[in-house]
Amino acid sequence: MATIAVPVGAQAEQNEQEAVRRPALSEYLRWSVDHKIIGVQYGISSFLFFLVGGAMAMGIRWELLTPALDLMVSGSAYNSLFTMHGTVMIFLFIIPMWAAFGNFVVPLQLGAKDMAFPWLNAFAFWLIPPAAIVILMGYFVTPAEAGWTSYPPLSTLFSGDGQTLWALGAHLLGISSIMGSINFIVTILNMRPESMTLWRMPLLCWAVLATSIIAVMATPFLAGALTLLLLDRVAGTTFFDAAGGGDVLLWQNIFWFYSHPAVYIMVLPGMGVLSEVLSIHSRKPVFGYRMVGLSSMGIAFVGFTVWAHHMFTSLQPELRIPFMITTMIIAVPTGIKMFSWLGTIWGGKIRFTSAMLFALGFLSMFVIGGITGVMLAALPFDIHVHDTYFVVSHFHFVLFGGSVFAIYAALYHWFPKVTGRMMNEQLGRIHFVFTYFGFLFTFFPMHIVGMLGMPRRVAVYDPSFTQWNQLIGLSAFVLGFSTFIVIYNVIRSYYRGPIAGANPWRALTLEWATTSPPPVTNFIDDPIPYEDPYGYGTEAATAYLDAVDESFRNGRPASGGH
Amino acid sequence: MNDNRNRTPSISPAAVVVAAIFLLVSVIGINWFTSFVPVVLPPQASAESKSVDELFYVLVIIGGIVFFLIQGMLLISVIFFRAKSGDQSDGPNFHGNALLEIVWTIIPAGVVVFLAVLSFNVWMQNTEPKATVNLIDGDEVKINVSGARYAWTHTYQTGRIDPNGAQIVINSGDKLHTYIGQNIELELRTQDVIHSYWVPAMRVKQDLLPGNPATGGRPTDIRFTPVRVEGETYPASYPIVCAELCGDGHGRMTGEVIVYADESQFLQQFYEPAIYAIMNPPADPVLRGEILIQEYICNSCHILDSLGWTSRTGPSLNGIADRAGERVPGQSAEEYIVQSVWNSQAFVVPGYTEQMAAFGPDQPDANAMSAEQLYAITAFLCTQGEQTDCDIENQTVAIPAAINTAFGLDVDITFGQGDGAESDSSEAPDED
Repeated sequence: MATIAVPVGAQAEQNEQEAVRRPALSEYLRWSVDHKIIGVQYGISSFLFFLVGGAMAMGIRWELLTPALDLMVSGSAYNSLFTMHGTVMIFLFIIPMWAAFGNFVVPLQLGAKDMAFPWLNAFAFWLIPPAAIVILMGYFVTPAEAGWTSYPPLSTLFSGDGQTLWALGAHLLGISSIMGSINFIVTILNMRPESMTLWRMPLLCWAVLATSIIAVMATPFLAGALTLLLLDRVAGTTFFDAAGGGDVLLWQNIFWFYSHPAVYIMVLPGMGVLSEVLSIHSRKPVFGYRMVGLSSMGIAFVGFTVWAHHMFTSLQPELRIPFMITTMIIAVPTGIKMFSWLGTIWGGKIRFTSAMLFALGFLSMFVIGGITGVMLAALPFDIHVHDTYFVVSHFHFVLFGGSVFAIYAALYHWFPKVTGRMMNEQLGRIHFVFTYFGFLFTFFPMHIVGMLGMPRRVAVYDPSFTQWNQLIGLSAFVLGFSTFIVIYNVIRSYYRGPIAGANPWRALTLEWATTSPPPVTNFIDDPIPYEDPYGYGTEAATAYLDAVDESFRNGRPASGGH
Repeated sequence: MNDNRNRTPSISPAAVVVAAIFLLVSVIGINWFTSFVPVVLPPQASAESKSVDELFYVLVIIGGIVFFLIQGMLLISVIFFRAKSGDQSDGPNFHGNALLEIVWTIIPAGVVVFLAVLSFNVWMQNTEPKATVNLIDGDEVKINVSGARYAWTHTYQTGRIDPNGAQIVINSGDKLHTYIGQNIELELRTQDVIHSYWVPAMRVKQDLLPGNPATGGRPTDIRFTPVRVEGETYPASYPIVCAELCGDGHGRMTGEVIVYADESQFLQQFYEPAIYAIMNPPADPVLRGEILIQEYICNSCHILDSLGWTSRTGPSLNGIADRAGERVPGQSAEEYIVQSVWNSQAFVVPGYTEQMAAFGPDQPDANAMSAEQLYAITAFLCTQGEQTDCDIENQTVAIPAAINTAFGLDVDITFGQGDGAESDSSEAPDED
């Protein structure tokens, strides 16, 4: 055998019990600066908000089973429901959920003991509960009903106090997001082991780095827009009030300057997850590693130049063409990723784990979101489907078919590392089948109702769309039901799942070169990363993985391998 | 363990066969889907819709190729590259292929450039200025659209003059009347929040943006040219939809585009009768009111069974004549109805919110309502009740000085033979 880098140093003095101890559940309810605790705190709270937002989605689909207003007492009640659905799903579920995986996994992948600023990390998380309370409280006082986009003057001159609380809560979440992102950037750029150059960094870290750069650059614009909105609402200013010299398009421009990049904040980490999962579970290196990493940066950069395509029907006509062109360009780096992932699994030895199924599900669903994205960029066609169910379908293919599928893939992939136990694969497969088909039949028909003439955000619609909406509604209930399978699986596996061991997937990245769950300091000695994070298929890689297995036999670190 | 670094993954003949079959299926699939297109899009009722749909076909074909390519490669991978049971070994150590990566960067880039150029051409073609717009009977008639929560109002600023020398303005309510081949250009203004004027059959959409009323608002334009649709009987009707969330009644904010076969049908069936009706209003104020209340789109918020209205945003108007006198102490039924129209916020029915616009001579555009019109609408609403105590005969309704000034009157609205000229016209209702 050639010289093999050993993942862990001498660990004879390691206290075995300490190494495999799982944090007590009560530790998750307390202030903690341990990135692993914070990661789980982010994860559990985000998942709870996923359930809240999902329940709201069920209410929306229930109302839409018939063309008339029946479940809700008024159109306003319906408006506030989907306003909360969007706000909760975006600000309280997807964005913090990526902070969950980023927090837990990134320091481990870097072989670091914690994030660069542990206290700041905890503070960023603990801003979320008060922000959530403020936003959800708004639902019970004259709720916000201007959609998650909150266009003035509907959100300024024609909305109740819930809108003010909405803006305050979003402000807090923005602060949390900025602090978390600064932490990620500093951690990733400074805390890698000596031998891990940027080009040897796992792709999840590349994705989180790109995401964090976007968040740090874009979120202040949201803060600016929210401040102006709050001033208009409570201080009598007229930034968005035309009668006082303001301009309603000012909000749209600033809001989308944040909220379009925010789409990539929600999707890029999922793309990072996909690179990990596809490579590990098909036992093959990531195809075109550098281009996958660089395309994250490309998307981050171009993502800042496309915001006004959300305003194609309100923007001055002469400004529409430039934004059409930039929007189309962003398809190129996304395409590079898609093809590289296909190249990754092509010729591999695919293991159909639940994580892999969801990653493959992402591939097959996200491509539809990508295709409709290019269609929407084509200005003349967009004019027809702008603000219709076609758009609703498009962004759910990106944010559910993309982000949520990736979140599930990440859950099945890293659950063993977090809890030390495997999830039930059989339940995972059932969950996948229900989610995949429930999702497809919920959201694909929305393209068609949108093109046929159904606008979004309506509680009553033309009776000719009834059958489509009933198909969508029933599929949505299947999709909603599928969530309970994964909840049951998580709870059951937490207590009863088979012991995972350090490296159940035989992966080369560093988070697998420590016990599951990792000790408080993550690694006993500074770990030595394998030269290539995805270098599967070589003798050296196999020897490295065997050495990891040897070091952590029975879930405990043995004496260092040689 | 075998070190197969640098070895290209081999492609079995079976994979080639599957790929070929899949290619065939995708070609058939794309063909099938494009034949399906008329089912997923509304009728092509405008010249613009044809070029937009052609662009859509191109997008669907290219999108279909990408879709079948990626799903096909995925399917082949899933079928042929699954690990054999018990095989714990790794796949080949294959890191990439620079040529392939260049190819799949350049080709998509070329495709999006092509789509951008194509879209640009369609856009320029559809937005090209027309030689004449809104041509009616040889005149270019200005057509304004007003969006208010939750109704569209179309007004035609005709070139005709009424007997008093004033310009005749046709208010066609939530209906836009046009004919095949007429180049339509609408000027859109909102009275409150952002709305979006969408005619799916015409493939056009434009937001209405709030502007400063003091400087005439912030008008936006929308243009299209209706064309003949095969198999359609004329006059044909196509829905107008509000596409931008505007509040409680957003889903009900709809209208109709009525397309006539040609200009003479348009003149015969809509334009001339509308002008005639304005020149020769019915003598009975109740009948005039019944026409007017439909022009002012009160149906977008209210229920009124006698006219088939069903909206629930505002209070029901069924039996309003019986209740009107009991709403505000000291106000007669007629006074209450008048106040509810021209100063709608003065009294908001419990359980409802302050959403209704005010209608009166001091209001702009579609909300302008003359004294005579207010009188006729009140007369009509006074007939909506059982044992009505709302009797327009011999009644006088006090009109505040401000309104009287605007009307150019110094009298109250007098119903029937009652003489209200000497009543206290300066008393404004309570603004609670």
